[in-house]
Amino acid sequence: MASLSEEVLLVLKKVRQRKQDGTLYLMAERIAWGPEGKDRFSVSHLYADIRCQKISPDGKSKIQLQLVLHTGDSTTFHFSNDSTALKDRDAAKELLQQLLPKFKKKANKELEEKNRMLQEDPVLFQLYKDLVVSQVISTDEFWANRLGDTNNSDSSLSNNKQEVGISGAFLADIRPQTDGCNGLRYNLTPDIIESIFRTYPAVNQKYNENVPHELTEKEFWTRFFQSHYFHRDRINTGTQDIFSECGKQDEIGLKSMVVQGVKNPLVDLLSLEDKTLDEGYGVCTTMPSTSNRTVKDSSNSAIIKRFNHHSAMVLAAGSGKGETAGDPASETSCTDGNSRDSDFFQPPVKKVKLQEAIEYEDLKKEKKPKTIALNLKKSDRYAHGPVPLQSQHYSTSQDIINSLNYIRHEMVNYKPNLTQVLCSTTASSAIAALSPGGVLMQAATQQAINQMVPTDVQGELKHLYAAAGELLRHFWSCFPVTKMKSNLERFQVSKLCPFQEKVQRQYLSANLTGHLEQMLQTAYSKFHVWQTRRMLRKT
Amino acid sequence: MASDDINLLVIVVDVNPIWWGQQAQRETELTLSKCLDAVMVLGNSHMAMSRTNKLAVIASHCQDSHFLYPGKSWGAGDSCEEDASSSGDGKYELLSVANNFIAEEIRKLIAKTDVTGNSTDTLLAGSLAKALCYINRVAKDHEVGQETKSRILVIKAAEDCALQYMNFMNVIFASQKQNILIDACVLDSDSGLLQQACDITGGLYLKIPQKVALAQYLLWVFLPDCEQRAQLVLPPPVHVDYRAACFCHRNLIEIGYVCSVCLSIFCNFSPICTTCETAFKIQLPQMVKPKKKKLKQQT
Repeated sequence: MASLSEEVLLVLKKVRQRKQDGTLYLMAERIAWGPEGKDRFSVSHLYADIRCQKISPDGKSKIQLQLVLHTGDSTTFHFSNDSTALKDRDAAKELLQQLLPKFKKKANKELEEKNRMLQEDPVLFQLYKDLVVSQVISTDEFWANRLGDTNNSDSSLSNNKQEVGISGAFLADIRPQTDGCNGLRYNLTPDIIESIFRTYPAVNQKYNENVPHELTEKEFWTRFFQSHYFHRDRINTGTQDIFSECGKQDEIGLKSMVVQGVKNPLVDLLSLEDKTLDEGYGVCTTMPSTSNRTVKDSSNSAIIKRFNHHSAMVLAAGSGKGETAGDPASETSCTDGNSRDSDFFQPPVKKVKLQEAIEYEDLKKEKKPKTIALNLKKSDRYAHGPVPLQSQHYSTSQDIINSLNYIRHEMVNYKPNLTQVLCSTTASSAIAALSPGGVLMQAATQQAINQMVPTDVQGELKHLYAAAGELLRHFWSCFPVTKMKSNLERFQVSKLCPFQEKVQRQYLSANLTGHLEQMLQTAYSKFHVWQTRRMLRKT
Repeated sequence: MASDDINLLVIVVDVNPIWWGQQAQRETELTLSKCLDAVMVLGNSHMAMSRTNKLAVIASHCQDSHFLYPGKSWGAGDSCEEDASSSGDGKYELLSVANNFIAEEIRKLIAKTDVTGNSTDTLLAGSLAKALCYINRVAKDHEVGQETKSRILVIKAAEDCALQYMNFMNVIFASQKQNILIDACVLDSDSGLLQQACDITGGLYLKIPQKVALAQYLLWVFLPDCEQRAQLVLPPPVHVDYRAACFCHRNLIEIGYVCSVCLSIFCNFSPICTTCETAFKIQLPQMVKPKKKKLKQQT
């Protein structure tokens, strides 16, 4: 229930929430709603929790106000008072509009960033849980290292984002619909508006001049669509239309583009003409004069001119990259690049194009890198390679002769006696040596450690390693700052020892934590050595 | 039937006459004849396992490497008709022909042995290279749809020869590329090169404790082929010492210096590589000059 010290700013009756009639109260710090006849509030939100409010569009039968919280939940209030519903809703909206900004939590960008990072990277999240939640190190220390790396990379990443281009059909996307009674309805989305402003900077200029002091946005766009500027047949009548200037600027721009021509010297646009075989099958020598154009021809050419201009502007806006946002004088002339510098640009482009046309890479001489021959002074070292010197068995020549005679004598009458190769006792002793537990099989009885240790213990060991690795990395990087040593000790006490005990309790004889302890011990001993040296230096 | 895979086993037997002669003089337990009997038992068993199994035996001698089986003039599956002396015990003819041929060849080989003082080392690298070439030839000889799986078994008697190091390593890597296993059965002294060969190609290395039971070890450990070995409990792989020896002292080192031009390994830094005479400079850490503190004037 509302506390007595709360100041009620606005009370609205007959507000339904979830199909229940009730009353809406706007207090100094929160908004609350209670059902009819009951004393308590069933819905109460602090202004600080509300992210934004939404209202139902005008013209809908249901007059609603929706509150969206930071957590994502939303609450909808339906104003059902027949006479004053709209007024009530608007009053509530205005009050909220004034109050919400005061309580808005400064969207702590850093906090959001941290949350995002934790959610994206499960390893980082686990590390966070292990180290910070169990209070081995503080949150600041944890984030001190992390944020420094990511801030730099993020900004560079965002700079490399590609710019979104303009769809060539954006004007067609507007899609006028008939309104039922002799009117047209144009659907303008912010994307389309942005496209129009980027393609036709003149329109952007007009918008900035007139809106919002002279015309509202709606009026501006209505006039835009009504003007002949927009329509197919551009007949520049009268100067009442604010867009007639735009039309004139477009004409100038188009003319300058035509004059500039194309930079590629190998492309000749003028040779592309509609050459039709007139009457006489080409025999007729008189050229049709341009002044005999029919009305249809001129309107066709107007459409084509408009079309070309539109395409050129879209391309220019897409590749402009800020160059087009210059002073109005150069606006029309820089649609195709800097016209002033076109003379400087022409020769290199021409040269490159001509070179490309003349030369073939495959037919050129191959450029092999110059090599130096290997000059070995002691090549006999390669004969024996990196093999250690072994004691040579020295046999005298007499030994050799004796052995040879012996073997020759033995093998002169060699006949395979395959039934007497093996006797059973030697065979069984050999089998015993080869059976599990035998002389030759000692190493095989050791089971792989990952089969002996249960998976949850393995998982915990992995987490321990990650946490220990992080702490040790921090320790070694900021050695010899003393704070980290206490962190390491805390880690050992709080995490490592319980794990060890747990492992021992399960009678696992494997020494799982030996390596971790060794790493920590190395850190401690190094620190100790440094400390004693420092003491000696001081005394 | 044509889709059965061909399993080729090449047995390389070290018949170094000097070592075997000395062996025969010392103890009479395992002589060259007994060793060859054991090899024949293995070869027969291998051929009896399947109709498509093939065998080759190479004798590795001080003078050369000689094919004990099959003979040079034989075709892909022909057997020599002249020597069709039936053993009389109803043995599978292929086996009896093979045994007789091997016996004949080894007798001839030992009879014409003539060793000079210099070359007393077994030409093992050369025998392995010949084995690889033979495997390559057989592999190309198969019918459509047949695959050839091969392995080499080395029965080693004498010691390693360090001069064959380069050739040995080349053979090892070539067989690794061709997926040919190299197994080793060592009778006397451990061989580092063969340990490396088995480790790299995925074969088995075994040093036999009892030389006289050679046949039993061969049948138990080296008869099953690669796929069957996965199902059996066999001796575990040996830990191989891959440490290199420095070129200056031939000691095994763990951390050393390598010349970037000729790749020779040294244990100490020297400004000139002794193999290729390239000069090297190592940057010493910068000596930081102590800053002179300005003495404050005492007023």
